[in-house]
Amino acid sequence: MINDLLILSAAGMLVSAYLMVGQKALVTAIRLYGIQSLLLGMVAAAIAASESRHELFVTAAITVGLKAILIPWFLIRIIDRIGIHREIEPFLNVPTSLLVCLGLTVVGYRVSAGFPEGAEGVSHHLIGVALSMLLIGLFLMVTRKKAITQILALLTVENAVFLVAVGVTPGMPLVVELGIAFDVILAVLVLGILVHRIVDRFESMDVSRLSKLKG
Amino acid sequence: MLWLASVGVPAAIAIRLATVVATIVLARRATACRLVALGGSILASAVTVSTAIHALVAGGPLDGVLLRHAASGFALSYSVTPLSAWFLMVFGLIAVPVAVYSVGYFAHSIPPSRIAVVGSSFNVVLGAVEVVFVAGDVMTFLFAWELMTLATAALVATEHEERASRQAAYLYLVMSHVGTGCLLAGFLTLAAASGSLTLSSLLGGNLVSGATRDAVFALFFLGFGVKAGIIPFHVWLPEAHPAAPSSISALMSAVLITAGIYGLIKVCAFGLGIPAVGWSLTFMGLGTLSAILGVLYALTESDLKRLLAYSTIENVGIVVLGLGTGMLALAYGRNGLATVAIAASLAHVLNHAVFKSLLFLGAGSVAMQTGTRRLEQFGGLLRRMPWTGLFFLVGAMAIAGLPLLNGFVSEWLLFQALLVGFSATPGLIRLNYPLCAALLALTSALAAACFVRAFGISFLALPRSIAAAEAHEAPRSMLAPQAVLAALCLGLGVFPGAVLLALRGVLASLPGLEPSAALAWGPAGMTSPVRSFDHVVPAMFGVALLGAVVAAAVLAARPGWAIRRVPTWGCGGELSARTEYTATAFSKPLMMIFSAVYRPTRQVEAIAEVSPYFPHEVRYRSEIEPTFERYVYGPLLRAVLHVANGMKVLQAGSLHAYLAYVLVLGVLLLLWLGGTT
Amino acid sequence: MSMTADVLRAFAFAVLQAAALLALAPLLKTAIKKMKARLQNRQGPPLLQGYYDLAKLLRKEPVRSETASWVFVAGPRVYFAAAVAATTLVPVLVAAAPLEMAGGILLLVGTLALGRFALATAALDTGSAFGGMGASRDMTIAALAEPALLLGLFTSALAAGSLNLGGLVRNMLQHGVTFHPSDLLAFAGLFMIVIAETGRIPVDNPATHLELTMIHEAMVLEYAGPDLALVEWASALKELLYLTLLVDLFMPVGIATTAAPAAIVVALLAWIGKVLVLAMAVTITESTNAKLRLFRVPELVSISLGLAFLALAIRFL
Repeated sequence: MINDLLILSAAGMLVSAYLMVGQKALVTAIRLYGIQSLLLGMVAAAIAASESRHELFVTAAITVGLKAILIPWFLIRIIDRIGIHREIEPFLNVPTSLLVCLGLTVVGYRVSAGFPEGAEGVSHHLIGVALSMLLIGLFLMVTRKKAITQILALLTVENAVFLVAVGVTPGMPLVVELGIAFDVILAVLVLGILVHRIVDRFESMDVSRLSKLKG
Repeated sequence: MLWLASVGVPAAIAIRLATVVATIVLARRATACRLVALGGSILASAVTVSTAIHALVAGGPLDGVLLRHAASGFALSYSVTPLSAWFLMVFGLIAVPVAVYSVGYFAHSIPPSRIAVVGSSFNVVLGAVEVVFVAGDVMTFLFAWELMTLATAALVATEHEERASRQAAYLYLVMSHVGTGCLLAGFLTLAAASGSLTLSSLLGGNLVSGATRDAVFALFFLGFGVKAGIIPFHVWLPEAHPAAPSSISALMSAVLITAGIYGLIKVCAFGLGIPAVGWSLTFMGLGTLSAILGVLYALTESDLKRLLAYSTIENVGIVVLGLGTGMLALAYGRNGLATVAIAASLAHVLNHAVFKSLLFLGAGSVAMQTGTRRLEQFGGLLRRMPWTGLFFLVGAMAIAGLPLLNGFVSEWLLFQALLVGFSATPGLIRLNYPLCAALLALTSALAAACFVRAFGISFLALPRSIAAAEAHEAPRSMLAPQAVLAALCLGLGVFPGAVLLALRGVLASLPGLEPSAALAWGPAGMTSPVRSFDHVVPAMFGVALLGAVVAAAVLAARPGWAIRRVPTWGCGGELSARTEYTATAFSKPLMMIFSAVYRPTRQVEAIAEVSPYFPHEVRYRSEIEPTFERYVYGPLLRAVLHVANGMKVLQAGSLHAYLAYVLVLGVLLLLWLGGTT
Repeated sequence: MSMTADVLRAFAFAVLQAAALLALAPLLKTAIKKMKARLQNRQGPPLLQGYYDLAKLLRKEPVRSETASWVFVAGPRVYFAAAVAATTLVPVLVAAAPLEMAGGILLLVGTLALGRFALATAALDTGSAFGGMGASRDMTIAALAEPALLLGLFTSALAAGSLNLGGLVRNMLQHGVTFHPSDLLAFAGLFMIVIAETGRIPVDNPATHLELTMIHEAMVLEYAGPDLALVEWASALKELLYLTLLVDLFMPVGIATTAAPAAIVVALLAWIGKVLVLAMAVTITESTNAKLRLFRVPELVSISLGLAFLALAIRFL
């Protein structure tokens, strides 16, 4: 039963990632990220309950608190402050993007089949979903132009890594988890400030205007 | 006292850390900052020296752990082997006088706003070097090595307003990092073969063989050679050493160079098994080349500190020559001979550290008082700075290899090794030995000429500039360390046997050497492995020399006469500083004789207004070709830049393009690696 | 205790030998001058002229430059002391050097280098261009000559099995002095170096004071009175020392191996004869050659180096 719950949550995360790809409204994308993090917290709690690893409850609480609540709130505040609410035309249109994401999912599952632990069972799905989310996050970064979307993509990648860490490995020491959590907070804070600066400078969040880093 | 020795290394590091923190905290108060930084440094160096002496006496390695992470089992360990102890002792002998000197020197030469940075970097460098010498595993070694490089670069760039300083620091950083990269590659290869990271297991000598062993040797030689300053990896040395403050230059020449040599001995000579003949010949060849070219370039330098930097290259060449001789002997199984050669190298490391730091400290005093480093602006300083002059003279005589001083001792040992090697080695390869002996003799004689020039032009005759005419003697806190180092030069020269006795433990710890080849003849004498071949007791000869000086003084004494002092004959004209011989003129004959090496170019321009027969100004410009910079590093840099330019296409400027590269690469890697189970 | 007694005895022997050589050195110098004069169909100075000159100089008032410091005064004294101390390392009449315990060939060459260093440094002290020029040229030639000198000495040392001059002579006498073709080459090489080191034509002219041609004389141009006497005496002693060294290395027959008075007398006569023969060789070289340009001297020295190397190769390979 726990396994079903896990697989369901993982699938939910993947779906949220797909939906993020298809979204044009930034607020919805952020909310999707929040849901994704919530599902991640549920995965952590489920594993904590089933394997009686109590420190994972703390992990789950941190995940939900920080990633499902605090960060989305912060990002929505930024968007409100700046006043930009919609993503502009990406490099690849939505149907093509979705097809590419499908392909990346296939790659993710194929690779997860190559792992000895991931050949079958829950781990297979968890690793597969995580790898897919990672690749989809990267893809999102490549094809979207708004800085906020890029932040969301980065956070998605981070979620994917976290999923593997929690679901498949025996877990990380609490110190490391706390460290990572604070890292994420800091990264979002800094990125938030940078978004402000970008908007100030270019009067738009269009990252493709940052073209000075060339040889 | 064993417990003291066992905590010596961590204690020294702790003291240094505390000093660095205190220095940074006291950044606003320049005097307190300076005193705390240098006082802490002296204390830590003293602890290190006592640990080192204890380890030398005890004979066995002192192991310990600096830092351990329980969960992963990761540990930074240290191990004070006799070889480390010798280098630590050399280090401590230099670090303490340099720190005492810096108390006065920093007060005059470093602006108060920079004292904190310089003081803390000073301690970081010293601490890093200590850890390099005692590192027990690869992580500790590389961490300390890198820290040493970075802190030294910070010190080199102290006067970062000067473009030359910035460039020197940059060059130093780039070359050191290439070297460190090679070290990393070498260590990784060894670690892959051995599976452990401790230096004792990596350097057991039996891990790799054949072409891999040669490749690993080449990597380590490159890595350590850059730090030691062997030609052709030396180009950073003449830029970086003069750019740093003088006491730091003394440290760099005496201590940082020895870190490179330590690596060469520990890894290249004794850590990869019995050395191959090709390696030994490389060492001998490059060592001799460094020695000759080093002294030749020193002869034509007009900047006193650059001259000393090139002289460092020369002495490193001599050490490497000794190492090569020892390695060749080991390759042929002549262990007694190898002992002499390695003893010569190790003794020269000590001797060079002592007299080079003495010379740099003297140069620092002179530069501080006159505001310039150029030989052509000095002159007559012996009248104004008598003690500095005297100590500089002692250092100059020591570096020229004159008997009764320590330079002679290590050269004597090296000559013994070369000559005994000639008799002991079969085949055509033995011709290397007399060739190297002749070149070593040439180097020694050229060094004598170089330092007659350096001392004579700087300190004697008339002052060539107003600054030199108005110089004052340095304060006593700066003179005392020079006095100690000069006394050490004399002491080490008169008691060479004591040095050799101290080296016995070190030689015993190196695989393949036989310290039973008795080299010391009591504390005051040295002998060749075969006693009847040669032996020397400088003290006895010193008595004879002293007696002869007294005899000369008696013969020439005219008690009734007052000495008549008259102006020097100037051929009927005015004698002034303009008519004195200049430093360039002094070395001109040698420059012309060795013009194949120097390839000098000159340009004479006569500027006339009215008629070309009456020029009112003549401009003369003479330049030596920077051979290595132009023919080795120039093409190398151009090739690298060419490739980099070619790769500019990838850097299109678009953020998304870069991210796309990451994505594509990630997918490809996953497919490739994920497919294999 | 016997060690101290040995040391004291050695020092006594050293003092005796040094004093004797000091006494004889001016005679050698004048002998060479006289031989040269005879070759040029002149009378030449009386044989005791060397002593008269030294006595004259020692009686004169010392005059020193205003710009000179203690280095200028120390120069001649250290140069003299180095030459005297060097003689204690060389066996003359007996097959043992007085202070052979103290060192051998390397110490000998080092001591002569010490003397040269002192003199060259002192030459820079007066502030005149002559001093600098002399010092520069002398150090240049010495730098080039030293490898050839050492290599030549090493060849003989390796052949005899000892770098210590006393041991070298003893070994050669013990094994019987045999002639090896490489000896000729080594002798030729070393002879050229001796010419260079003692400042004789074709390398340097000891009798000139022209700016273009002086080397050694330029270094000592500013000395007067007792200071000059010390320098002249030391130069003469060095000449005697080098010739004795050549005798020891290449014609040691006749050196006494026992302390019997008869052997000593024979050794003395043999030594005088050999030194005179070598002095004759020096004279002939000086009289039949013109002084080389300064920048031709390296060629001469490199020929000498080549000869020494060849001697080594022929002997040992």
